[in-house]
Amino acid sequence: MVRFLTLLAALWLMALPVQAQNGPLRITIDEGVIEPLPFAVPDFVAESAAAQQMAQQIARVVAADLTGTGLFREIPQDAFISQITSFNSPVQFADWRAINAQALIAGAVSMEGDGRVSVKFRLYDVFAGQEMGAGLQFDGTEQGWRRIAHKVADAVYSRITGEAPYFDSRVVFVAESGPKGERQKRLAVMDYDGANVQYLTDSRSIVLAPRFSPSGDRILYTSYETGFPRIHVLDVASVGRRVLENQPGTMSFSPRFSPDGQTVIYSLTQGGNTDIYRMPIAGGAPQRLTSAPSIETAPSFSPDGSQIVFESDRSGNQQLYIMPASGGEPRRISFGPGRYGTPVWSPRGDLIAFTKQSKGRFHIGVMRTDGSEERLLTASFLDEGPTWAPNGRVIMFTRETQGAGGQSSLYSVDITGRNLKRVRTETGASDPSWSPLQN
Amino acid sequence: MHVGHIISGAGHIGLIGWILFGGAFAPAPEPFEVTEVAMISGAEFDALMTGTEPPDTATDVALPNPPETDEAPAPAPVRPAPRPTPPAPEAAEAPPPEAAPTPPEPALADPAEVQDEVTEIAPPPQEQAVIAPEIADSPVPRPAPRVAPEPVAPPPPDAQVDDVVREEATPQDNADTPREEQDATAPEEATTEIVTEAEEAPAAAPVRSVRPKARPNRPAPQPERTETAEAPATDSTQSAVENALAEALGGQDAQGTSTAPTGPPMTAGERDALRVGVQRCWNVGSLSSDALRTTVVVSVQMNEDGTPITGSIRLVGQSGGSDASARQAFDTARRAIIRCGVDGYDLPREKYGQWQEIEMTFDPSNMRIK
Repeated sequence: MVRFLTLLAALWLMALPVQAQNGPLRITIDEGVIEPLPFAVPDFVAESAAAQQMAQQIARVVAADLTGTGLFREIPQDAFISQITSFNSPVQFADWRAINAQALIAGAVSMEGDGRVSVKFRLYDVFAGQEMGAGLQFDGTEQGWRRIAHKVADAVYSRITGEAPYFDSRVVFVAESGPKGERQKRLAVMDYDGANVQYLTDSRSIVLAPRFSPSGDRILYTSYETGFPRIHVLDVASVGRRVLENQPGTMSFSPRFSPDGQTVIYSLTQGGNTDIYRMPIAGGAPQRLTSAPSIETAPSFSPDGSQIVFESDRSGNQQLYIMPASGGEPRRISFGPGRYGTPVWSPRGDLIAFTKQSKGRFHIGVMRTDGSEERLLTASFLDEGPTWAPNGRVIMFTRETQGAGGQSSLYSVDITGRNLKRVRTETGASDPSWSPLQN
Repeated sequence: MHVGHIISGAGHIGLIGWILFGGAFAPAPEPFEVTEVAMISGAEFDALMTGTEPPDTATDVALPNPPETDEAPAPAPVRPAPRPTPPAPEAAEAPPPEAAPTPPEPALADPAEVQDEVTEIAPPPQEQAVIAPEIADSPVPRPAPRVAPEPVAPPPPDAQVDDVVREEATPQDNADTPREEQDATAPEEATTEIVTEAEEAPAAAPVRSVRPKARPNRPAPQPERTETAEAPATDSTQSAVENALAEALGGQDAQGTSTAPTGPPMTAGERDALRVGVQRCWNVGSLSSDALRTTVVVSVQMNEDGTPITGSIRLVGQSGGSDASARQAFDTARRAIIRCGVDGYDLPREKYGQWQEIEMTFDPSNMRIK
């Protein structure tokens, strides 16, 4: 019996390599390359004569959106071997493969007489020779063509990268003009890429630190209209505004919405001591959340609304702390040398962006919510005030140049630290706040 | 005598000099400097600062401009004002009316009408990618993993396992005869045989298997099998041996022979050549951070000339991420296999049988930016 079992075992062992050879060849790929994905966007097909110009413009905006992420590289149109002349005719994949276009976006635009625009597109995986997802159609008004283009680019971006979209979003900021000594500041909103600027306030009083509400319909900001900093709420659609908090003898600033849009957290200075307060946006009694004799400011809610991150100099040095949304014992999360400020919780909830000042340089950085894995993404004479894109992948901030003629402008950077670039604005700009994705 | 003094003197002088000079090489100040430099985090900053500095240059800033300048002249609604406008003039005049910003507002609301809907036609989609995950159901554990001579029904939920069946006894106030308090017990649930997935009724089973059966690539053993079959089967040992052998070789015998040459085993070099060949095209630069946490296993059938059969590329396994991120990871892997395989991978033709089907595991953990 023992002999028999041994024989069986031996046979089984012998069989193993045979089986291994029978199966597929197995290899593990654990190193690759990191480079922008080459894509092609031929001009969209104009399905009516009037749409000719718009068909080109939309394709250009889509290309600019994708290229602007740093994750994609556009193949210039003069390299194209074939063109897309009809939205529904089959694609000659070989022609696009030959120029190494890995993704191809084909679209068509039609305009109705009443100013309605209809844009459809398909995204192809050229090397697999098939569509990625179904074709989509967007309808809108003629003035809204940029938004439609952003929506097309958003769909392409999401399908290829797997990230949530963010191109169809806006940014509120402080538009600055005039020399440094008497700089004039106005609130303005623009598309995320700097287009369609609209001014929301005049420049009679200094405005600071605008913040979008979670639904994008209201803006909180600090104004010096009365001579002292006061928090105002502004309705984006009607441009109507009101003072939110007005206790005599105090200064209130650095406001931010809660994720449900019902509550405002802010800093209030009274008798030389600055602490963090919260109050309902509709009005009501403010609730004091901190009571240390030190300066507590720049509060920001976690996306689930349960916690607040803020800066405090209670340790003798400006650092970041997290406390429960209803107040309570704060927990320090930043421990590096230098000073940390203006923390902002990522919409994904996993990271906190901040400004860091160290050795005379300013940095925008991110860290995990427990303070670990701190990474500095930028360095310059003055970088500050980070704000997150709705998908938590990109950060926009203010960069100011040195000297008397110093200018503020907006920059954006990927959370990998790559793709730092300036956001084009007509005037100087500071204090950006990114809106949620538009609906 | 003098000679002795001279030698001694010279020796001492030399020794003292050596000590002095030797000592001069290791004076105190040096270590202090070392401790100062040891502010590790400072060094880190610098490293990071220099790391992020390059994008600072003007080339980056210029990037977004080209498309914009293209656009600016074209659309009527967009303000044609070119960028270099000096800040002064507008600022001075802009302030007059309080209600100045109102007019452009409607434009804010209007574009919100943009709505999306799926278009009618979807031309030839061969979506193996979507079908694949449906197959990869994780196995469900058998209801009763214990085998016993007699089947035993599942015990009551809170009964303890015991050979003897006892009912639960709890103290009752009105009971006549006090009974000893005890927990309910029952034998552990069991079946008489283990029913495997293969034997189970095919009702809900997927039609396709997780991975297609390996292609036969070694026709040689067939004669051996017939030999053993002819041997007298009276001996039970002999038949058991025969069964084991048949089982071991069964897969390929059942499917008949294939002409694919197998050749000697693939060498490490040949495998590496294939790995490097695919790696060159595996571009994870456009993957989300979620997809960069997802490992996918991709199966591909190969042509004899070393080119992949595009339609055969399937996702056969995934780990570490959502289905959505696995799809992006799979798309990227598929692109890599096809792109770098256009001219055929460098694979030994005489071993085609071994690489006719390849299973590649794409593990991005090294490529992740934390």
